[in-house]
Amino acid sequence: MAHIERPIKVSKLLRYKAQEFLESSRNPDILNQIINHFDSGLDTVSCLLALEMIFTNLLKDRSMYVEIIPLKPIERTPENQHKQWLKETYEGCFNLKILNCLEHESARIKLQGLSTAMNIIAHEGRHPLESKGTLENYVPLGKLKLILMKILSNKYNNTNLINKYTEYLLFDDILFFTWKILPSLTHKSNPNETYIINYLGLLEKLQIYPNSERKVLCAEENVNFFTFDENVTKRCLNKIWHCIMYWMHTTNTLKQLLIVLLEKVLVHLEKPLLLTDFLMDSLDVGGPVSLLALQGIFTMIQVHNLDYPNIFAKLYSMFEPEIFHTKYKARLFYLSDLFLSSTHLPENMVAAFAKRLARLALLAPSEDIIIICNFIGNLVLRHPGLKCLLHNGNGVTASSDPYIMEERDPLKSNAINSSLWELQTLQNHVQPSVANAAKFINSPLPSVEWDIGKILENTGDDIFDKEVKKFSKLIVLQFEQPKGLSLNRGEKVSMYWEFD
Amino acid sequence: MVKVKNHKRVSVEQIQKKRQNQNAKKTLNPFEVHINKEKMRVLGKKAANQRGVPGISRAKAIQKRKHTLLPEFNLQHKSNRFLDKRIGEKSKMSNEEKVAARFAAFKAKSHNRKSIFNLSEEILSHRDHTLSEIEKFENLHSDDEESDNENNTGKLDSDFVEEAHFGNGMLTNTGREGVKTHKQLIEQLIEESKKRKAEQQKVKEATLELTEKLDNEWKDLVQLVSKNTKKAEEKDQEKSKVDDYDKFMRELRFEARGTVSDRLKTEGEIAQEEKEKLEKLEQERINRMKGTIEDNNTKTNHRSADDLDDNFLIESDVEDNTLSYSTSGQANVEIQAEINGKIVGEDPSENTENESNSESDDEEGNEESEDESSSDDSLTDLKEKDDSSDNSESEEDNSKKIETKNNKKKNKIEIENTEYKKIKVDLKDTVTIIDSDEKACPKKNRKEKEKNKRPSDLVSSGNICKKLKSDITSEHVNKDILESETNELEKVGNELPFTFKLPESYENLMETFKDKSHTQQKIILERMIKCNHPSLAQGNKENLGVLFDYLLQYLNDLFSEIENTKDLKENFQLFKSLMPHIYDLAQLNPENTHNSVLEVIKEKHQEYRKKKKRYPGIEVLIFLKLVSLLFSTSDFRHQIVTPCFVFIEQMLKNCSIKTAGDISYGLFLCTLILEYTSLSNRYLPVTINFLSGILHMAIPKTGVKIIKAPPPFKSLCSDLVLTKKKLKFHPKDKIHISSLILQDIEVEFKISALHLSLKLLREFKDVFKSYSSNVEIFDNVEKYINQIPWHLYPDEVKSEHKEFYDSLNQLKSERKLQYLIMEEKKPKALRLYEPKIETVYDGKRHKVQSREKAERDKLHQKLKKETKGAMREIRRDKAFLGRIKLNQRIQSDLERKQKVNRIFAEAATQQSELNTLDRKNKKK
Repeated sequence: MAHIERPIKVSKLLRYKAQEFLESSRNPDILNQIINHFDSGLDTVSCLLALEMIFTNLLKDRSMYVEIIPLKPIERTPENQHKQWLKETYEGCFNLKILNCLEHESARIKLQGLSTAMNIIAHEGRHPLESKGTLENYVPLGKLKLILMKILSNKYNNTNLINKYTEYLLFDDILFFTWKILPSLTHKSNPNETYIINYLGLLEKLQIYPNSERKVLCAEENVNFFTFDENVTKRCLNKIWHCIMYWMHTTNTLKQLLIVLLEKVLVHLEKPLLLTDFLMDSLDVGGPVSLLALQGIFTMIQVHNLDYPNIFAKLYSMFEPEIFHTKYKARLFYLSDLFLSSTHLPENMVAAFAKRLARLALLAPSEDIIIICNFIGNLVLRHPGLKCLLHNGNGVTASSDPYIMEERDPLKSNAINSSLWELQTLQNHVQPSVANAAKFINSPLPSVEWDIGKILENTGDDIFDKEVKKFSKLIVLQFEQPKGLSLNRGEKVSMYWEFD
Repeated sequence: MVKVKNHKRVSVEQIQKKRQNQNAKKTLNPFEVHINKEKMRVLGKKAANQRGVPGISRAKAIQKRKHTLLPEFNLQHKSNRFLDKRIGEKSKMSNEEKVAARFAAFKAKSHNRKSIFNLSEEILSHRDHTLSEIEKFENLHSDDEESDNENNTGKLDSDFVEEAHFGNGMLTNTGREGVKTHKQLIEQLIEESKKRKAEQQKVKEATLELTEKLDNEWKDLVQLVSKNTKKAEEKDQEKSKVDDYDKFMRELRFEARGTVSDRLKTEGEIAQEEKEKLEKLEQERINRMKGTIEDNNTKTNHRSADDLDDNFLIESDVEDNTLSYSTSGQANVEIQAEINGKIVGEDPSENTENESNSESDDEEGNEESEDESSSDDSLTDLKEKDDSSDNSESEEDNSKKIETKNNKKKNKIEIENTEYKKIKVDLKDTVTIIDSDEKACPKKNRKEKEKNKRPSDLVSSGNICKKLKSDITSEHVNKDILESETNELEKVGNELPFTFKLPESYENLMETFKDKSHTQQKIILERMIKCNHPSLAQGNKENLGVLFDYLLQYLNDLFSEIENTKDLKENFQLFKSLMPHIYDLAQLNPENTHNSVLEVIKEKHQEYRKKKKRYPGIEVLIFLKLVSLLFSTSDFRHQIVTPCFVFIEQMLKNCSIKTAGDISYGLFLCTLILEYTSLSNRYLPVTINFLSGILHMAIPKTGVKIIKAPPPFKSLCSDLVLTKKKLKFHPKDKIHISSLILQDIEVEFKISALHLSLKLLREFKDVFKSYSSNVEIFDNVEKYINQIPWHLYPDEVKSEHKEFYDSLNQLKSERKLQYLIMEEKKPKALRLYEPKIETVYDGKRHKVQSREKAERDKLHQKLKKETKGAMREIRRDKAFLGRIKLNQRIQSDLERKQKVNRIFAEAATQQSELNTLDRKNKKK
């Protein structure tokens, strides 16, 4: 019991002490006591809260505000001295104590540290320690920079801190100044992986345009609006990107980088064609990275008139059996659907795609077979010339499939002379949904394409749930009584397994 | 009736009106009548619009509009209007009339009663009692009583009247002393009258009191009187008590006669029937497999020949048990029951056990048979005799029954075979049938006979059934094994009680099963099912369903916490022995089976979802095997089997392979898939994926070139690689189940796993033989298989490999790929028009249509007509309003013109006056 009660007591005590400090005495002893307690490492969260309370109130009361009159030395009155002391303590606490919390092991303390620091910054912004001067908005940039440095640590993975920080990015001024500070924090040479992950994580959250709500953190409410210059942020982004692109990337960070690039950055780059080499290099990495690079190249081709030879061969080479077990399977299908949406492609190439996909479907998981079947159907619909894959009225037989799976070039794979036997085979799939999907080759094709978008994200669990929910009144039991553990017909388990 | 009357009345009024109209019409101006000229007159045709009076009807219409439309038009755009409700203001009344009318209205209002016929407001009475009071008829003193003694009423009697009236008695009482004055007389008169009234009242009250008293006393007496009568009746009945003869005669009379039944079927016929039934079921299964059948064929009660037999046996046995226990608890009966119990206990188990064990358990059975005691032997001998079914009566005392024996047997069999449900006939029914068959049978105490006959009879009939079954399934059962088996079962069975209640909770079941061997558990379960067969009591079906759920739970518990090989073996043994009864339970309540198994599979899948990378426990395998045993796995879509496929696929696709147990688990799943699809020849890619992964694990990796592995397998994994030659080890045909819990991958395991994979691949290859791209499916497998160092493996594996490899090559060379051809579109037939020929033409075209259609058409026509009419009316309304507006316009123009004229005139006169004035001034 005592153990549980203690922290409550301590936090109460700390708050009480902080109040006492604020209300009457401003006794340095109390503040020192709190700081000492903080140093002891116990009850960090309560201490942080107490410090936050003290400093925010001090800032509100302007107790640390020392008016500086030019060309005049500051009088050494005890009052001023006290202020000076408070200020020093404040700076010390912020830099050493509070910010160090951001590197604490405990996630809770980290988050509390961040929120305390940001709160203090907000109050300092509203009640600056020095005269504002001509600045409309005053954001304590020094402190913000320190916080960002902690967030972009090269030791710890700060995903949760970055998520917390995202909440503050809703304020226009914080967002703007984060952009402004970021170039100076970007490493020029090769940083380590943790740093890159943190950096990209933060970059992913930053947006170029101001928030729609136009909230400002470091100013009194509804005082004045903050002018958000989009050109500045764009310039910063370009500056940053120049550094980032030349870092040494591991596969992991490269993947992350490409995601950020595709989703956030690409639109805002001034000279996106500079990325071409980078994307080309990434394309050769293989796996999901090349897939992402491919998407980038596609955007470049589409928007920026990039001419990339042999792009379809690259796409063709991406269809490997392993692709069904990566997270980016849906993206690949989406992308290839886009690539092959043109009706002006050579038929034998599209046929090669259809045939390769069908081959892959032979050993693919059920949910993917359904996608592939619909995808092939769409290809045939777009390119009526492919109907020869489904209907070859010559009545000839072949001893082996004319399609060459090993050929890297889709144009040379001889797919157009083949037929989609794989789909015929897949009609025997045990899953009724799969078998039905493969049955489209029997009947005349529909006039409208299948909507792949809906089924791209389907998993085996979805199929399971769907099948379980399918209600039919027909209850079919085995009508032949088993002998012991073996069926009358088709018993296999006891043929290969010994139970006794 | 009422309606008709009304109708009549209305019609009378109408006629009167018509007459009046006709009278009016007669006075019509002939110039106003317009006659439509008829071009062609058709006899008998109604002429609707022959003549009319357009002028008059137009005037009428205008008049009507003036009363309806015009006021509305006048009030248009006015939000308010003034209503004068004073009486007599509108009509022209004189002042006095007005006043009178208003006064009358006021009076009427003050006297206003809601309804003149509403009597309830006034209380009607009769002789100082309200009618409602009287209507209760509580007081039975009727008016008649009072009217009877009319002279007792308070009226004056005749003497007095004589004296007092008519000259005040002067005629008689003249000159008497103390002559009473007239006034005195009157007083006397009144006094007398009052006195009489009072007397009257008194007497009346007295009689009332007396009657009430009498009533009360009567009530007390009534009971006594009625009792006496009843007793008398009873005595009468006792006298006429029936004697035995009558009773028996009546019994005979009211007893159900033997019903006419079908001819007895020969064994051949029965076999034929069974065959047909099986063929039908098989056909249905094939239809489902193809996926052509839809849900409309909702025949849920699938039964097979085996099913029928077993159920029958259970049925008869249950009857036996109940009989032996219910009649009495005497020693004699108990012995009998014991015999029954033994024999009963065997029948179904015999069937299943023998068949299942006939393959492998020869030795075991022999061993056990040696252990038997002599007493048991005698019992089996006895049973043997029954089996032979020729002269099984040796044990019976009563020789007279022998004659009837065969008859009965036949009856019984017939019943069995006709319908399972029919077997539910209770004892009496069978007896009556027997009796009707053997009329000549001498009178005997029937119950006694019944008791004696029943056991042997049923056993023998059961045996015949069994024999039939064995004929059908063409299973040759080794009799020795059968004997020993049954003896062993008997021995175990005797130690157990013969009846078991259904467990109320799972813990209850566990308690019953605790510390029992698997044979004992089997017998317990068997007896539980028998004692609580659905045909015996109302809720048994549901309760057995609950028992099934508990058994599933039991299986789950058995297999989820297995640590050592011994447990695993024992539990599998137990599962094996319980299985036939689980199957029976499932057949008894298919809906429940379906639901609970589905729930179990769902639950297991949920558990699995939490850890997708790891194989779940062995219990999942058991349930999947159970599914294949209980349900028809070959269906195109099955509510339980299809989710199981998904489940298996997910496991094979996602789970990582680390230990020997994982490999075995995956191989077991592949075997299950093979079993599921063996009849339907269907395909699950992930099995081939998995098996090729196993092959991949056996390839020694040289390091330079990475051989890609199918995804759940790691490309660099080489757990199954054989490093040294191991030719001495001979892998068995079957892998032992204990490898499911193995951790380390031993050399022996490596070989046997590879061996099994090869065998499974060969099986799958056979399944896929008919597929068009069967070669492509095995592309990967072929690639891997060529890289395995086969020279290190023992001969069995080598030969297996060679066989598979050759067959694969053969498949390749023999393959003939027919190019795909889409189904051709059927050409659309032209629509053909045939002349419409009517047999009888009566000048009209009768549409052939349903009554609803006709009604609808009629309504449509009416609607059209009405719409037309309404439009016409609206048009006329508009014209009317237009006229009104025009008139108003003209009116206002006229007024204005007049005004203008007047003003002009005034101005002219003014001007003229001014002019004259000017002229006058000028002149001056």
